[in-house]
Amino acid sequence: MTYLWLALAFIAAAAVAGVLFARHGAWRGEAGKHWKAVGLAFAALAVLTAVFDSVMIGMELFHYDASHILGVKIGLAPIEDFAYPLAGVVALPGLWMWLTRKRKDSSSSNLKGLVPQALLASRPVSWINTAYPFAAAMLLTTREVDWVLIVGTFYFLIPYNLAMYGINDVFDYESDLKNPRKGGIEGALLQPHLHRPMLWLAAITNIPFLLVLAFAGGPAAWLSLAVSSFAVVAYSVAGLRFKERPVLDSLTSSTHFVSPAVVGLALAGANVTSGLVILLAAFFLWGMAAHAFGAVQDIEPDRQAGIGSIATVIGGRRTVRLAVGLWLVAGAAMLATPWPGPLAAVIAIPYIVNCAPYWNVTDTTAARTNVAWRRFIWLNYGSGFLVTLIFILQWSLTS
Amino acid sequence: MGVLYLVSLLLGITCMLLLDHRFRLFFWRDAKAAAIVTAVGLVFLLAWDLAGIRLGIFLRGEGTIATGLLLAPELPIEEPVFLIFLVLCTMVLYTGARRLLDRISLRLAERERENV
Repeated sequence: MTYLWLALAFIAAAAVAGVLFARHGAWRGEAGKHWKAVGLAFAALAVLTAVFDSVMIGMELFHYDASHILGVKIGLAPIEDFAYPLAGVVALPGLWMWLTRKRKDSSSSNLKGLVPQALLASRPVSWINTAYPFAAAMLLTTREVDWVLIVGTFYFLIPYNLAMYGINDVFDYESDLKNPRKGGIEGALLQPHLHRPMLWLAAITNIPFLLVLAFAGGPAAWLSLAVSSFAVVAYSVAGLRFKERPVLDSLTSSTHFVSPAVVGLALAGANVTSGLVILLAAFFLWGMAAHAFGAVQDIEPDRQAGIGSIATVIGGRRTVRLAVGLWLVAGAAMLATPWPGPLAAVIAIPYIVNCAPYWNVTDTTAARTNVAWRRFIWLNYGSGFLVTLIFILQWSLTS
Repeated sequence: MGVLYLVSLLLGITCMLLLDHRFRLFFWRDAKAAAIVTAVGLVFLLAWDLAGIRLGIFLRGEGTIATGLLLAPELPIEEPVFLIFLVLCTMVLYTGARRLLDRISLRLAERERENV
């Protein structure tokens, strides 16, 4: 009987709320339709509950203490279980009607385009750059596909990029306006009325995943997730704006790509070896070089908008040379890793070849490096392919 | 450890969102209100679960299709996902029913006008 009383208590609360919401939320003549729709929805839910509750109980997902239930069952489902959909359908549509009253048209058009805009802003062409390091690091350590790997890979594929670029585009609005390069393959201008919703979207899509991943790991995972999230926020958010602090900008940007790998290693409980540290350091240098070189093309618009970057401070020429130097060091570092790691040293070469022609670039011709930057996006796919082959080789060598 | 149940739930949620997207019912009609309704529904139903667990009514099964990971005693990680699915299903059914009822009454009104 206990379950029946519990269910009745919650149904009563839901019914009171539902009636109050409907009374305050419905316009003249709407209440009738509302309750009719509630009835229809409950009829459908009751059928679904009878079927799927029986399946779930049959699969032994949960069961009940026999002394607490009436014992009346539809299929395998105790009659009290129908209280859940009943309470939900009595209260929630009323809440919905109340929340959407009056501002029926204005608010929906207000948020219109938020999701497509957010997806475009998150640069889908680069999603793989954060998901891959995580998935590869974790899979190569655990050597199995478990739910943490699936959830984490999805997180670093989409929500993470939504947050990173969404936050970035909100706070970059000023400089983006003056930059014709944005709006296509490399990002989109974000309308001001979508700024707040975009930040909300970033929070809603990220926090649950971060909590689940933190739950799946220990202190090492918590620390790496914290560093990763901080880097995402600190890069562009007003007040911190690490992207406008020379050197710190490249460090933070590189963290965006290396930290998913570190999170993957932490969640997998990897052993920290010198080879692994060198690998991560090389990856980090590669990321710094990529960021620094990317900043060169934006020297003009950034200066016009009063935004600082490694390239606006040390100049286009020195930034290009620094990037080439970093790739060189990253490639050389890979030679110090255990076999087949040294093979990855080759990957540095196309980057250096791609950017070396700009060795003598000036700040006025800096925008031309966009040609190399565009190749760069596709170069990353090629590098990913080579890295994958090396990983497969490593996998077969150690199994 | 099985992920079948969790994957099925996520698939179910995806399907509900696809319906929502196709017919502009819930999140695609008013994302903010839909987020509030989903959050309120989740908290309400989760409180119900916890009360039931506290009273010793609900017991977690040992089904092989579940991950076996717990958020709290007797509360598997699949439960909040299921509750979100339940809320989405409820709201898609309700908003869908409203849409149907509106359409039917509109058609009746048109027919009446034609008969006059």
